[in-house]
Amino acid sequence: MNNSLKQEIKSMFKNIKVIISKDKSMLINARKDQLLAVLKFLKGKGYNHLALISCIDWEEEKQFEMVYVLTPYLQRSKKVTDDWRLHVIVKFRIPRENAEFITAIPVFKNAEPYEREIHELFGINFEGHPRLTQLFLEREYKIPPFRKDFDTRKYVKEFFDNIPFVTEKK
Amino acid sequence: MDRKNIKKWLKEHGKMSHKYSLWVIYFCTGCGIIEIPPVITSRWDAERFGVIPVATPRQANLFLITGYVSVKTLKAIIRTYEQMPDPKFTVGFGSCPINGGMYWDSYNTIKHLDKYIPVDGWIAGCMPRPEAIFIAVTHLWTLIDKDMATGYIKYREKYKYYRANQEKVLNGLDWPPLYPINDNEETE
Repeated sequence: MNNSLKQEIKSMFKNIKVIISKDKSMLINARKDQLLAVLKFLKGKGYNHLALISCIDWEEEKQFEMVYVLTPYLQRSKKVTDDWRLHVIVKFRIPRENAEFITAIPVFKNAEPYEREIHELFGINFEGHPRLTQLFLEREYKIPPFRKDFDTRKYVKEFFDNIPFVTEKK
Repeated sequence: MDRKNIKKWLKEHGKMSHKYSLWVIYFCTGCGIIEIPPVITSRWDAERFGVIPVATPRQANLFLITGYVSVKTLKAIIRTYEQMPDPKFTVGFGSCPINGGMYWDSYNTIKHLDKYIPVDGWIAGCMPRPEAIFIAVTHLWTLIDKDMATGYIKYREKYKYYRANQEKVLNGLDWPPLYPINDNEETE
C-alpha cells in the first residue's frame, strides 16, 4: 500500500519528491502553493490527524523549512494493517527574508495554535490566519528568538543584566 | 514546654504565631513543585512544622517559588505576592530563581528573582531534597525571631524600584500600584 500511495501522489502532483524511509515514515517535499492540495489529498486518504507543525531555520541556505506531520488518527480500527501506521511528513521550503506562508486552517483546524507559535518564535507570517497574536511570550523581540541569528547570550547581557538590584537600606 | 521561656513567649506572641503557622501557597512555577507533594503528605509530614498548603494567596504567608520563573510566570507571581496579607515571607526554591540556574542564557527566563520581589531566603540545589525545605523553615524561624525576615517591609519601602523593574521586564503592568509611589523620595 505504501508504494501505491507513493505512485498516486506522484501522479497527482507535479514536481514532488516522495521518499519512504525504513522507520515507516514517508517524506514528501513539495512547493508552497501545493500545501492545501497535498494536505487535503492526504486527509482523504485517511491521514486525518495533524500531529505537529514545526519549522527549521536553515540560515546558510537562507531558507525556512516547514514540516507537517500527519498520522492516521484511528490506528486501531479493524481495517488497519501495519502499512497504516505510516507517518507522513510533508516539507516545504520558503525563502528566509519576509517569510510568508499559507495557513492550513481550512484543512486542519488544529493548525491554529501551531501557526501562532511559529509566527511568534520564527516571525513567519501566515496568510489567512484569523488572529496572529502572541501566544507564549510577554515581550516583543526585535529578532524572533528561535531564529539562528538571535544571540541569546547577548540578549541576556543587554536586557536582563541591565535591570538593577534593589539595594538594601543603609 | 519549657517554663523558663514562658515570659519570652508571652512577650513575643505575635512572632510565635507567625513562626508556627507558616501557610504556604501551593503555586507551581516550574519543576520544583514536584518536591512539594511528598513534603506535605505522610512521608515528610510538613504539618509537624506548621506548614500546610493553602489554595488562595489571601490565606497564605509563605511563598515558595518552586523552580525557574519565566516572564509570564513572573506576572502571576507578582499578582499572588501582592494579594498575600502581611507578614509574608518568600523563599526561592532551587537554583533557578537565584541566578537563572541552567536557564542562565535563556531569552525568556528571569535570572535574579530578588530584582522583582523581595526574597527572604534561598534553598540552593537542583533539585533540593524535601529535608531542605524543613531546614529552610527552621532558618526562617530564627530569622523571624531576630526580626530579619522583613522582605514585606522592604517591599513597601522600596516599592518604587521594584515596580520600575517589574514594568521594565513586563512592558508595563495593567494594574495600579499597590502602594503610593512617592517621587520626592531621594534616589540612592
